[in-house]
Amino acid sequence: MTEQYFSGLRIELFLTMLILALLVGKVLAIKQNPIGTLTLISVFLISSIGISFMQNESGYLFGTMFRTNSTILFEKAILLAGTFIVFMLGFEWMKKQKHFLEFCMLLLSTLLGMCFMISSGNFLMFFLGLELATIPLAALASFDLDEKKSSEAGMKLILSSAFASAILLFGISFIYGTTGSVSFDTIASAIDGNNVQKFGFICILTGFAFKISAVPFHFWTADVYEGAPVAITSYLSVVSKGAAIFVLMPVLYHAFGRMSSTYIPALILLSTVTIITGNLFALRQKSMKRFLAFSTVTQAGYLLLGITGNNTEAGASVVYFMLIYIFSNLGAFTVVSILQNRTGRDDIGVYKGLYKTNPTLSMVLLLALFSLAGIPPAAGFFGKLFLLSSAAGAGYYVAVIIASVNMVVSLYYYLNIVKMMFVDEPEITIEKLKPAVTEQISLFICCCGILVIGFIPAIYEYIYNLSAAI
Amino acid sequence: MDATQIIKTIPIEHYVILSTILFAIGVTGVLMRRNAIIIFMSIELMLNAATLLLTAFSTYRSDTPGQVFVFFIMVVAAAEVAVGLAIIVMIYRNIKSIDINVLNKLKW
Amino acid sequence: MGSSIFYFLGFVSIFTALMVILSKSPINSVLYLVITFFSIAAQFVLLNAGFLAAVLVIVYAGAIMVLFLFVVMLLNLNKEYEPHKHIYIKFAGGIAGGILLVTLIGALHGSGEIADSTLNGEASYAASTGTIQNLGKSLFSDYLLPFEISSVLFLAAMVGAVFLGKKEKSSPKVSAEKI
Repeated sequence: MTEQYFSGLRIELFLTMLILALLVGKVLAIKQNPIGTLTLISVFLISSIGISFMQNESGYLFGTMFRTNSTILFEKAILLAGTFIVFMLGFEWMKKQKHFLEFCMLLLSTLLGMCFMISSGNFLMFFLGLELATIPLAALASFDLDEKKSSEAGMKLILSSAFASAILLFGISFIYGTTGSVSFDTIASAIDGNNVQKFGFICILTGFAFKISAVPFHFWTADVYEGAPVAITSYLSVVSKGAAIFVLMPVLYHAFGRMSSTYIPALILLSTVTIITGNLFALRQKSMKRFLAFSTVTQAGYLLLGITGNNTEAGASVVYFMLIYIFSNLGAFTVVSILQNRTGRDDIGVYKGLYKTNPTLSMVLLLALFSLAGIPPAAGFFGKLFLLSSAAGAGYYVAVIIASVNMVVSLYYYLNIVKMMFVDEPEITIEKLKPAVTEQISLFICCCGILVIGFIPAIYEYIYNLSAAI
Repeated sequence: MDATQIIKTIPIEHYVILSTILFAIGVTGVLMRRNAIIIFMSIELMLNAATLLLTAFSTYRSDTPGQVFVFFIMVVAAAEVAVGLAIIVMIYRNIKSIDINVLNKLKW
Repeated sequence: MGSSIFYFLGFVSIFTALMVILSKSPINSVLYLVITFFSIAAQFVLLNAGFLAAVLVIVYAGAIMVLFLFVVMLLNLNKEYEPHKHIYIKFAGGIAGGILLVTLIGALHGSGEIADSTLNGEASYAASTGTIQNLGKSLFSDYLLPFEISSVLFLAAMVGAVFLGKKEKSSPKVSAEKI
């Protein structure tokens, strides 16, 4: 009986132990040793990834509160891997902070919240997981205590997320009122799609749109991404967004399964607008972090389009895309982080002529941007291909055509940066930068991920077989 | 007073409309005001509209999940306010204003 | 009798909620919001949810609003400092809120379903729903996991708030005394 709880909650228990260990370390004022802490965290994270692949039984715990199956565990493994890379890429910055332990603790508790959120079988669990995943992030976004921009980012994040969760709750109240339950299973069988439920559903979808920064609820994204420390920006754009997308799928397919005639048009509209707007704004950004922010907005649009497929294939393509996206986006952010740490600048001008001084970094950035743009040798191409084909398989050709045209448009701005790095003359002279060991690890993992995942079809098949259980 | 009497005399729609009005006032406040603290208070209004709705539904159906949910909403709101106000105090220390227009460098 | 109390409380909460977003000084807004919370707590009492009413008064009106009041006074914001702002933004905000309200009520109007099909009605009303015993029982049996998560949430929020609120001694730009 108890074994079931331990094995079902194993990743969450691991993370909680780690958080408490860090807290005890802080309270007892053990002499701070950043490298030791990082090693501890890495060991925990990697072993959690390991145990997530062990015996995967599916089922419910605590009534219908906690849901677990092999897809959910795989999604958790993706998030854990993303967090690990974030720790690696941001360590050079983190170790200079006075509150290093608090930083790690808060970051890991948001990860814990995301794990609970993905596993939720109930709107109450979902809501608590969501809040645990966002409230500490606001504190983290304002981590540069003396930096005005950073506190601005924190405030915008907490105001917009509180606003979003209020809307979400209002929607949940209507769903509760008309179906008499907050558990996904009961909602799925009691829902009939009357006007009140439609209204509640739209509120819930709005809350989600805020979290994954879909247009028109994206206005906080660029400012928060620009102001927050790079490690947090990358975490927000990859791990946090991934978790929201992962939980959106069961909510739509499972709880609101009977309302697919309502949510599919809404999703298609949302994704088309998101892709177009994200592209238009990305075209004219001068700061690299803002540029990547709008690139993230666009990718969210593609993900939403993939979700409309509404079958196993759609679920698999979304998980597969997230897996690739983690490596591509974090690869780009690693390079941005290295350059920002060393030069203190983050505008696009810094990247002019980067190839002449730092060939390795520019090659990594090239690879990451190719993958984000979806140019064939990189894995991102296959990710987008599967997303679009899942939407096309469901017959939404107009949306797919719009998305494909936008992929071509997006080539312009991705390649523009590539051109700057390889062709243009340098604006400022950057000496040859030597990435620290942690940053090298992050660069290496990201490159491997981008190159390898696209060429091993077995990975997609593996995910497809798992997703039969969504 | 017994809630049975309330259930008999007041249709649930009136509770729905009351909380909808409160919610709309909250949304308007978020959109209209620029003072971060007042925006926060408007969000609290929105949350309370949701709690009122949940409680009303819960009583009319006489089951507990709605009221438990309300309890957790209050828990979360407390945590959110603590962090949010800490950030506001920190911002004020840095720039001596909490008008979000002063902070705003929104370039779209 | 009960219904007239409901309408009175509803009127009070709508009026004070409007005053929260319309009054110029943050202090007034805070005080109006406290009244709104009290009227909502009274609604909870009418709905036989005594425990929630008590929690609302203690946690919201007591702790959270005092925190707001404390911040407003600490930062000395009780003057009209909100700078000039374009009237059209206010106008747009008002319009947006109004449209939202109309949409909501329109969506509700076309659906009498809430009342008849899904609710039990007074016939099967159980007076024990909102009692502390009942809530406590379900909180520590069915809702045990969320309860534990909320403790982690509080821990994280506390750590976050403490480090944000800490004044950095080393930072050179703190010059509150001089101003």
